[in-house]
Amino acid sequence: MCFKWVAAEGELRVDPATRAVDASSARRKISDYDRNTIEAARVAAGSIGSELVGLTFGGPDARTGIKDALARGVDRAVHVVADEGARADGHVTAHVLAAQVRRLEDVDLVLCTEGASDTYAHETGPRLGELLGWPVVTNVRELTVEGRTLRAVRVLGADLETVECDLPALVTVVPEVAPAPIPGLRSVLGAAKKPSEQVPVADLGLPAGAVTARTTVTSFLGYVAARRRVVLADGAAQDKVDALVAGLAQDGVLR
Amino acid sequence: MTGIYVFSEDPRLAAELATTAAALADEVHVVCLGADASRTLTATGATSVVVLEAAGAPRPEAYVAALAGLMRDRGADLLLVGATVTGWEVGARVAALLDSALVSEASVITALPDGAWQAERVMYAGGAVQTETWSGPGVVTVAPGRAVAAAVPGSASPVEVVAVDVDTRVRVVSRTARVRSGVDLASAARVVCVGMGLAEPGDLALAGDLADALDAEVACTRPVAEDRGLLPTERYIGISGAHVHPDLYVGLGVSGQVQHTVGFRDAKVVVGINTNPAAPLFAVCDYAVVGDAHEIVPLLAAAVRARH
Ligand SMILES: Cc1cc2nc3c(=O)[nH]c(=O)nc-3n(C[C@H](O)[C@H](O)[C@H](O)COP(=O)(O)OP(=O)(O)OC[C@H]3O[C@@H](n4cnc5c(N)ncnc54)[C@H](O)[C@@H]3O)c2cc1C
Ligand SMILES: Nc1ncnc2c1ncn2[C@@H]1O[C@H](COP(=O)(O)O)[C@@H](O)[C@H]1O
Repeated sequence: MCFKWVAAEGELRVDPATRAVDASSARRKISDYDRNTIEAARVAAGSIGSELVGLTFGGPDARTGIKDALARGVDRAVHVVADEGARADGHVTAHVLAAQVRRLEDVDLVLCTEGASDTYAHETGPRLGELLGWPVVTNVRELTVEGRTLRAVRVLGADLETVECDLPALVTVVPEVAPAPIPGLRSVLGAAKKPSEQVPVADLGLPAGAVTARTTVTSFLGYVAARRRVVLADGAAQDKVDALVAGLAQDGVLR
Repeated sequence: MTGIYVFSEDPRLAAELATTAAALADEVHVVCLGADASRTLTATGATSVVVLEAAGAPRPEAYVAALAGLMRDRGADLLLVGATVTGWEVGARVAALLDSALVSEASVITALPDGAWQAERVMYAGGAVQTETWSGPGVVTVAPGRAVAAAVPGSASPVEVVAVDVDTRVRVVSRTARVRSGVDLASAARVVCVGMGLAEPGDLALAGDLADALDAEVACTRPVAEDRGLLPTERYIGISGAHVHPDLYVGLGVSGQVQHTVGFRDAKVVVGINTNPAAPLFAVCDYAVVGDAHEIVPLLAAAVRARH
């Protein structure tokens, strides 16, 4: 399964005047829904008696994420270490992950999340599947493997679609596929004994075109909310409600 | 410049995209699946409509290689794809086959004077906006509701049918509809939004009563719909749900993570009711009511009714 080490979106500092974003002090985390994906992958791997490899592509700081992923149930982790300062878009990320999956041999199933907390692009999984030449099944909320057949329930807006395909396959999952339990102390301690490997991206032998971003970022501006923030915290509930209704009436938003 | 190609499995969305594309290029080709869709799309004023035809009734995702092949053969600059679940997959896989740029859910697309392209998209679920540029072929997905589908009077684009091979490795076993409410939150003037802080089954009546007093639609956060199944999924607001622009949004027991709040950014007035004074929702509120929704909501419903 593929997980991404990202900055916590709630801790980005935005300069209200210039809208410049400072992510340097934001904590890093495994992308929220990737934690559900780890759990779904753990269950799926268990059901077919396979090893679960956690795969991430990111800067040196993603090392901390490796420990977290191992604690969450990954049997072994591979960290493809990105060159510092090189920007990876979906094109680069998919090429790197595909090259690493090919190096692993005997992979039956790769799980990605529908979207990551930072990009939420719904891009990496299907791109990766296409590069591997495998069937792709996206937006899955239920997943079973029997023999060489994968059966999955996809969420398509208000519809649920059940599909089947043969392995190997690339599946993207929605968070409802599994809960994301917080690892207990034993799992955290046990993680230290599990194997992990760091692979410099250069070792994958990819051509320059595959590791050069197709897009260039020319601007990145934070969002600044312009709201009044009238706080109604003190006094009896009825007083707060009266103050609120008076305010809403003045704003002209009650019918 | 060989024009923009447009694809969506949903003909209405394809028609919207044709309008978007017409503002960016003189030549717009709409690609669709099946003759029925082509009939709607010939009225969009597009330069041409290309129907991909295959035996049987393949799922739209089965046409990925055919679509990429068409783009390559015709030297297309840009493919716009409707950003549905199917469109996300089709767009990303076509981009992989073309080894091209992809911008997912772009809000603004610009043709730069030097032949390059630029698009804006949201990052960190609404925490930031990123502008990206690229040259050479590219794929951009565009969410529904970004443009109005304009029928061009008297227009009848030539239709070309292309027989293609499809990928049948993924087989559809069944398709069922989940509960639908038929609600159109996007046009609601007032919205009462139920969060996990007010999501016990008995609590829905409280929210429903307030919505009734305010003449509002009931909406919710993602976990209320997807985890609890308390309300239909069309009722959840956020980056992966509905985008609303009401006069009034009232959040009940909503923590206010950006993935949710991005969905009502354009609301005129935002009210939060939450027991936790540090709830992130309060940072994006006009009125922050600190208190228990079980207590506040009935009082609020009564106070609103008292004005009628
Ligand atoms: C990639 C991604 C996409 C996402 N997309 C969406 C999306 O589209 N839409 C969406 O909604 N979410 C989305 N989420 C989830 C989002 O991050 C939040 O987890 C979710 O919105 C939280 O829902 P909530 O506020 O109902 O629940 P919680 O975060 O659990 O908050 C419950 C709140 O209720 C308060 N509370 C408890 N009891 C009471 C009471 N008696 N009275 C008043 N207040 C009370 C608590 O203080 C708390 O603030 C997404 C997440 C990710 C990572
Ligand atoms: N750098 C990465 N390393 C490992 N997995 C990734 C990486 N980027 C994206 N993914 C996977 O692809 C999913 C979707 O990412 P995205 O397409 O960017 O929204 C993530 O949730 C991960 O499962």
